[in-house]
Amino acid sequence: MIGTLSRTTPVIVQGITGRMGRSHATLMRAYGTNIVGGTSSRKDATEAAGVPVFASCAEAVLETGAVASVAMAPPEETWAAVQEALAAGIKLIVTVAEGVPLHDAIRIGRAVRRAGAVWVGASTPGLAVPGQCKLGFLPNVCLRPGPLGIMSKSGTLSYEVGYRLTRVGLGQSIWVGVGGDAVKGVRFADLLPVFFDDKRTKGIILVGEVGGSEEEECAEAFLRLGPRKPLFAVIAGREAKEGVSMGHAGALVHGAFGTLESKTKRLTEAGATVFGSIDALIDHCARYYRFDRR
Amino acid sequence: MLLIEADGKALFTAVGIPVPAGVVVTDVVPALPNDGPFVVKAQVPVGGRGKAGGVVLCNTRPEAEAAVAGMLGSRLKGHAIESCLVEAAVAGAERYLAIMVDPASYGLRVMFSAAGGVAIEQSDSVEARLCAPHPGAVTEALNDLIANEPEAWRAQVAAIGKALASLLLEKELALAEINPLFVAESGCVAGDAKVVVDLNAMYRQPVLSAMIAARPTVYADACRKLTEGFDYVELDPEGEIGLVTTGAGLSMMLIDELTARGAKPLNFCDIRTGQMRGSPARLIRVLEWITARPSLKAVLVNIFAGITDLGEFAGLLAAAVTASPGLHVPVVARLVGRNAADAKRILAAALPDMLVTEDLAEALARIDAIVGAAP
Repeated sequence: MIGTLSRTTPVIVQGITGRMGRSHATLMRAYGTNIVGGTSSRKDATEAAGVPVFASCAEAVLETGAVASVAMAPPEETWAAVQEALAAGIKLIVTVAEGVPLHDAIRIGRAVRRAGAVWVGASTPGLAVPGQCKLGFLPNVCLRPGPLGIMSKSGTLSYEVGYRLTRVGLGQSIWVGVGGDAVKGVRFADLLPVFFDDKRTKGIILVGEVGGSEEEECAEAFLRLGPRKPLFAVIAGREAKEGVSMGHAGALVHGAFGTLESKTKRLTEAGATVFGSIDALIDHCARYYRFDRR
Repeated sequence: MLLIEADGKALFTAVGIPVPAGVVVTDVVPALPNDGPFVVKAQVPVGGRGKAGGVVLCNTRPEAEAAVAGMLGSRLKGHAIESCLVEAAVAGAERYLAIMVDPASYGLRVMFSAAGGVAIEQSDSVEARLCAPHPGAVTEALNDLIANEPEAWRAQVAAIGKALASLLLEKELALAEINPLFVAESGCVAGDAKVVVDLNAMYRQPVLSAMIAARPTVYADACRKLTEGFDYVELDPEGEIGLVTTGAGLSMMLIDELTARGAKPLNFCDIRTGQMRGSPARLIRVLEWITARPSLKAVLVNIFAGITDLGEFAGLLAAAVTASPGLHVPVVARLVGRNAADAKRILAAALPDMLVTEDLAEALARIDAIVGAAP
């Protein structure tokens, strides 16, 4: 589903009459995303951001044929929003809320898996196919079509990477913010096959963070699948404080678990290149992909 | 977020998991449960206390008093020791028992080892089973793991596991761990309690949120997050660079880069500009916390604005700086993204001494110059 996203993919926005929903629906449309409608609990709403508003996902899907949804729901309502979307037959759901309770995330994950759908989030700025569409709020200033697939736990850190890539003339093929929570939808390892199979993608950038074992899992998958495309990584949190979540619920170090050392070691052993700073990553990409600059 | 052992054990007691008799001491040692031996344990929310000297075995009351006196007021792994737990020492065979959320399987991971103790994380004796997030599934997984335990206490371990599972599910925990679990025919006892709570669930977990609110200094970072609605973590009370930054990942990376350059960041911060809604109050709060530290030499503002209007942010920053009488150090602002040019103009007019740049390298070079770090 992520690999085939394009400017024709029909997308709805759940919660489109809210402050966030309305403004981001407008921005997504302006970027080129095929927003075909939205949902709202407001009975009087018929139109927002230039698209029709429906009372439920089921109705929106029936009327518009939407296959993807961006849920602009607050964290405590995200689980309900996902249930509604799945019941309506949505196949790709992006939840942007920061602060979804851990055990709600488990429920969401199990329900999405049962439904055979794809979940991106929570705590994510979304995903984009630069030049085609974006689902969420990745800033336009960072987006540019090009050869690099980006996957990131952190929104802002990936903005910094994307922005600096654009400044050296490089862009992105597919950009997925997997989000900073411990329990989430699509994980780094799930995206390797997507990037491997995508013809536009010539290299993959992993923007990681301390905490959890997603980078280690990704290293293992990279070894297992065979390193079909170069994997470059930068990981934040060398100086993270032990036992405290550093902003992201998932960025929590306990003893040797989830440390930068562990992640760097496993990724390097698997054949990835891990950079100590954004500067080093960008310099390397600028050289490596000098013939792909536009 | 990790709870201190005493709070973890209070949760254990509430679900019927036996713990040693003990008292939490913040000042003079009161009456003790028996004549010894005792274990004196520093109550700080961090793992590896034993190896760091935060757990001391004492044979007599005077020894325990001396250990408490030595710990209170000192620091352990970066945390001030405000209280100690003095417990009756328990001897016997040790086991390891833990249940945690397993992110990749959307389930739980049940872990058990017939060898408990502090070195367990480095050993490969821990066996694990993945299961669905339901008490019955945990019971089944644990029964499998403890099949070789002696009959004398197997049922007790199973009962403790069941209680631990319901605690984890009802309180929406990330981790509930007992290491060591003392096992004996006469009874099994949790020697330690490692409980990691989910701060995002606090709005529907009244017992846990009261527990955290009751210790505002021990859980300072969590209390701040719960009351203020954004993240601020003090990294080094003697730090030199105060950070006013947005985005967890970018803030962490900035801390890493500053540290690599020899500068000492004071704090981590994800200020969430989107929630400010036209008020400088949040910026003023952060500047207040930062300027409370006498070691401060500079403030670095780093905002990557995807959505936020930097022109509006610049107005708020100027207002906050003007409204912060305690701010006597230079402020360097790296602002990039939407309407950065407006921001530069607004700040140049309001605060001509402030360096405002779109270039992070330039901002960091200025910080280097201020704190005298080698570039």
